[in-house]
Amino acid sequence: MKKDGITIKNVHLSFGSTEVLKGINLEIQPGEFFAFLGPSGSGKSTLLRAIAGFGPIPTGEIFIGERNIVGLDPWLRNVGMVFQSYALWPHMTVRDNIGFGLRERKFATSNIQQKTNEVLELVNLSHLADRMPNQLSGGQQQRIALARTLVVEPDVLLLDEPLSNLDASLRVQMRIELLLLQRKLGLTTIFVTHDQEEANTTCDRMAVLENGIIQQVGSPQELYDNPTNLFVAKFLGTANILTGSIETNGRNTRFVTTTGETLNLPTAAQSGTQLVLRPQNIEIQKTSGKGTLKARVIHREFLGSQIRYLVNAAGTELVVDHSHTPDGVWFENGTNIHLRPNTSGATVL
Amino acid sequence: MKNVFLTSLAAFALGSGGVLADGKINVITSFPDSMTSPIEAAFEAANPQYDLEILNKKTSAGVKYIQEISSDNTADIFWASAPDAFEVLKSDDLLARVKVNSTGIPDKIGSYPLNDPAGYYYGFAGAGYGIMWNERYLKNNGLEPAKEWGDLADAKYHGHVGMSAPSRSGTTHLTVETLLQGEGWDAGWAKWKRIAGNFSTVTERSFGVPDGVNTGNFGLGVVIDFFGFSSKASGFPVDFHYPTITALVPANIGVVNNAPNSDGAIAFIEYLLTAEGQAVLLDPAIMRLPINPKTYANAPEGFPNPFKDSSIGATVKFDVEKSGARYNLVNSMFDVMITYRLDDLRDTVAALHKAEAIHAGSGNDDAKAKIAEAWALVEANPITEAESLDADFAAIFTKKRKKATDTVGERQAEVEARWDAMVVENYAKAKALAEEAAAM
Amino acid sequence: MSSFHIGKPTQNLASQNEFWLFRKLTGLQSVALLIALVLIGLLVVPVGKVIFVAFQDPSTGAATLQNFADFFATPLFRESFWNSFYVSAMSVVFATIIALPLAYITTRFHFSGSILIQSLGFIPLIMPPFVGAVAMQLIFGRNGTVNLLLREKFGFSVPFMEGLNGVILVQSIHYFPFILINLSASLRNIDRSMEEAAQNLGSHGIRLFRRIVFPLAMPGYIAGAALVFIKVFDDLGAPLLLNVNNMLAPQAFLRISSIGISDPMGYVISCILVLFSILSLWASFLVMRGKDYSTIQKGGGGIGKRTLKTGEKVLAYSVVALILLVVLSPHIGLLLLSFGTIWSFAPLPDAYTLQNYITMWEGSKTFILNTILYAGIAASLDVIIGTAIAYIVIRTGIFGRQWLDYLATGALAVPGVVLGIGYLRTFHGVDVPFTGESLASWWVIIALALMIRRLPYALRACTAALQQVSITLEECAESIGATKRRTIQKIVVPLMTGGILAGFVTSFATAAVELSATIMLVASNSDAPLAYGIYLFMQTPSGRGAGAALGIVAVVVVAIGTVASQLIIERDKKINSSNDIV
Repeated sequence: MKKDGITIKNVHLSFGSTEVLKGINLEIQPGEFFAFLGPSGSGKSTLLRAIAGFGPIPTGEIFIGERNIVGLDPWLRNVGMVFQSYALWPHMTVRDNIGFGLRERKFATSNIQQKTNEVLELVNLSHLADRMPNQLSGGQQQRIALARTLVVEPDVLLLDEPLSNLDASLRVQMRIELLLLQRKLGLTTIFVTHDQEEANTTCDRMAVLENGIIQQVGSPQELYDNPTNLFVAKFLGTANILTGSIETNGRNTRFVTTTGETLNLPTAAQSGTQLVLRPQNIEIQKTSGKGTLKARVIHREFLGSQIRYLVNAAGTELVVDHSHTPDGVWFENGTNIHLRPNTSGATVL
Repeated sequence: MKNVFLTSLAAFALGSGGVLADGKINVITSFPDSMTSPIEAAFEAANPQYDLEILNKKTSAGVKYIQEISSDNTADIFWASAPDAFEVLKSDDLLARVKVNSTGIPDKIGSYPLNDPAGYYYGFAGAGYGIMWNERYLKNNGLEPAKEWGDLADAKYHGHVGMSAPSRSGTTHLTVETLLQGEGWDAGWAKWKRIAGNFSTVTERSFGVPDGVNTGNFGLGVVIDFFGFSSKASGFPVDFHYPTITALVPANIGVVNNAPNSDGAIAFIEYLLTAEGQAVLLDPAIMRLPINPKTYANAPEGFPNPFKDSSIGATVKFDVEKSGARYNLVNSMFDVMITYRLDDLRDTVAALHKAEAIHAGSGNDDAKAKIAEAWALVEANPITEAESLDADFAAIFTKKRKKATDTVGERQAEVEARWDAMVVENYAKAKALAEEAAAM
Repeated sequence: MSSFHIGKPTQNLASQNEFWLFRKLTGLQSVALLIALVLIGLLVVPVGKVIFVAFQDPSTGAATLQNFADFFATPLFRESFWNSFYVSAMSVVFATIIALPLAYITTRFHFSGSILIQSLGFIPLIMPPFVGAVAMQLIFGRNGTVNLLLREKFGFSVPFMEGLNGVILVQSIHYFPFILINLSASLRNIDRSMEEAAQNLGSHGIRLFRRIVFPLAMPGYIAGAALVFIKVFDDLGAPLLLNVNNMLAPQAFLRISSIGISDPMGYVISCILVLFSILSLWASFLVMRGKDYSTIQKGGGGIGKRTLKTGEKVLAYSVVALILLVVLSPHIGLLLLSFGTIWSFAPLPDAYTLQNYITMWEGSKTFILNTILYAGIAASLDVIIGTAIAYIVIRTGIFGRQWLDYLATGALAVPGVVLGIGYLRTFHGVDVPFTGESLASWWVIIALALMIRRLPYALRACTAALQQVSITLEECAESIGATKRRTIQKIVVPLMTGGILAGFVTSFATAAVELSATIMLVASNSDAPLAYGIYLFMQTPSGRGAGAALGIVAVVVVAIGTVASQLIIERDKKINSSNDIV
């Protein structure tokens, strides 16, 4: 399979008078499994469809490899797209669905036959070749949709929320299969989703979109540990935000909350007024000490591996995850506790 | 509220069912509303105690209807053009013999007696048959009006003539039968087929012909005279003419046997024969020949007067019994040989006209012989006149066998299928011959 | 509320009322039984009788296939059968030729004339086909407007209206909306991603349409086409007024009316008409089975819309304008005829006048009153029975309730002429009490025939209306203590009002211009409704103008009815969607 990178330069797109993509710049490396992550209305699907050639023509440039494809008809782009609803044609058998693209490219019948069989092997569904789409389960339909796209050997692969129509257990299985397949083929792939767990578990890098603008680009771990804005911080996982200010005192940098409590920060400190703390990075102590916060338990949820406490602290509500062991402690509502946040990797925005 | 509705509904239902049986006269008629309405209005104005209920049915349908309700008869009057339909009813014992006051009415119109000598039905108007044409159409196609039946068979009228079928129209039946009686069985059918070869269409009801001529759909039509007169009176650019061979036949009216209101029925017939009743016939929408000679004093200009002009309707002495005996058979023959095979007949005649035109003065006897042979095939009849008058054979074509005892040798469908096969073959052969002749 | 019972949520109507003969039957069950009897008496028995007579020897009464053998042995009947089939098939073809470009233009493009196209879809339906036939004859006939002008300017003419062509033209123009509406809906229901997936894989243009879009729209198309086929196959009025008799429906009518109700051929033909209708419905069913593409298409959204380039715009508007002109030709022709004095062998009438309307008005009061009465009764009964059947089928578990639906809908497969013949045969020996008149010639029978003919449509309207009413509303009422009867009366029916009213109006409007069954059953002119009145007027030279005027009245009646029912449905939709509780 070819390995083309995708470069998006200053793309703006409007539906009528409403601007939906407000200046997108992005570089996707060849062979990368890249995710567009964002809530609904963020523009992620619009961007994907713009790459495929659907919707209004944007301004700017979109390069696949060396070609700028903006303005090119969808059928001339050779980008493979798998639709959210799979879009298998109900009046054709699985075999005919898969062979469609090859027939459009005027391949010889024997060749089509061979390639179809190969790709069915690839997705392990050779036994379903002569079924009709309405006889397939959701997962099978998705794999056939994928096969249909792969068989024409597109330059890049675009997946529009491929897992959202599957039930939970299937989703987990399918995302692993997708990833393995992509690795095997080495095809540059864009995967659109609103589910951060899906994005986190599969992609090499992702772009978080909100309101038509790319908020941040990076690996899942980068975005999780070092969000560059509040939106990304909250979207990638539960985030506690403490408001306050940074005080530098020679070698020491400290964060002072609005309630006057002080936390130490790593010396490579930033500026900002929002301290981002992850629930699992806050310890619970019985006693106070340096760098602790006073807190009171409001609510408790049992999550299995963790116990999640909602507490009142530092003038706001914080989520604290506490490891659960069978003989561990539980805190009742209304209990006063002390929190020690681990600020060594914390971000200040 | 509901009670009021139900009561009024009941009253409506009963009212239209005719509780006032004394004054109601049920009339079965083939005449259109444009004719019956003025007469009904005039009659009810003169005789307010009576109420005419008109039931409109085509002649043959009317006859069937009276036959079907005969066991529990509700009809008072049968009122139609065709005297042969009355003969059918008379022979079935479905008409009542009544005495009607008819002063001032002569015995004959043309050479035809107005009333049934046995007193079962009476004439109230006269009608003849003839040719109607559209002046604009003819002018546009460079044609002259046709004067005689035979003219209609001329090559120049090919595709311009319209007519109804005897099975669908009592008046057309009379026209066909008149020519058969006037020219003879074989010559008559021959002439009809030649004319039919020029047909543009065979219409479903007799009115279809004047309608077609009026709108200019086709140029000439074989019609009953009042269609021509009333169309012209309505303003259409049409005219009408009686050919020499025509019969003036009365339009008739009779009282149905076991009529619920026979007094009323007689009153209506008598009214029709009064000067007042006869005058209504001159209404532009009606235009039938009155049978009271005095009425003609008020007739519009150009309206024919058979009592003054004895040439009208004198040539054929119409034999009503003969007509009645073979009524359905003639209907069948016309339909099988002409109506249902019109396309074949038309094409064949067109080929023959073409061949004749080519060899008009050629002196090519072989070609002419072929053409003559072809015509003979076209004109060939499946049965002779004697067979047509054979009661047993004619009985095959009557549908109303209620008794199982008269099982006949064949069914109508079989006979018609035989005739159809013969006719199809003949037309095809004739066409082939004509084409050969044309090529010579 | 005096009937407020706490603690007795649902009352058995039978235990409340001594009136019911069979104490075991609930109110609803009695209603179901009554409806079943009505349907059997007014539909099953007459049609059954027709079928029975077809298999009976006319002289001996024994069972026989001879009549059918005779039928197929007679060249005329074979020809009629073939002609009916041919005309129906060609009408489907031409209706498709008209409807397909229109459906495509509205669904594929941003076309500002879409309203125009939508109204195109309803203009033909307001002109009863037999009335349109007369007008089309004037415009497209041998020596009609178009041909006279063609011959004058170019020296040739087109046989638009010759023989079967005339019937095909009239029927295509009248029935193409069925295909247009169904095909448009089908196209609009296609999941957009179906098309995009194909484009993504390299397809576009005609290939895309042929391989993806049209097959997916096929079920809608087949539904429309099957309906057109059946309606044309069964139609009596248009061939009759065009003088085309070698087709099945006119043959049946002619045999019965001229030879009498004892002629077996009329029954054989009726049998074949019914059989063929059912066969066609079943065949289209089979073709569509397994092709319910809506279940697998999750998205909807219709095929992608594009903007037209200027050249394409001109083409699109031209096509629409041409079709509009053709579709309006019967209306234009009829209007001209109604205002014209004499129209003979000329492109237009000689002069214009209001006299025809005056004549019409004077002569038609009875027709109009009769029409209001018959259509009113028919439509009222339709919605009452339709609502009852809808309720019984959807909300109850009464044994055999599906059969009520099948029976009522089965009336679709019975051509009007066959129903008429059946009624004549079944009821002519029966007398109406108190009058001594035969039931077959009593005016009420016309209203009942109209009721049966329109019932399938009313039933669909009532069913749709009832499906909008959430069952929780009823359950709520019943849990507070209302009886079934009061619940239906006070909750269900009022909420269905929109659909019921729409059903009533449509029933009324179409019953008002029905001809096929009417022409068989009208016993006297004083009982004649509008449609028959037009037929009568058209039988005299002086009456054509007045007949056309009456035809215009008929068109206006149907138009008002259709528009009113659409408005009611739209308004109802708004009310119901804002009440979306579920």
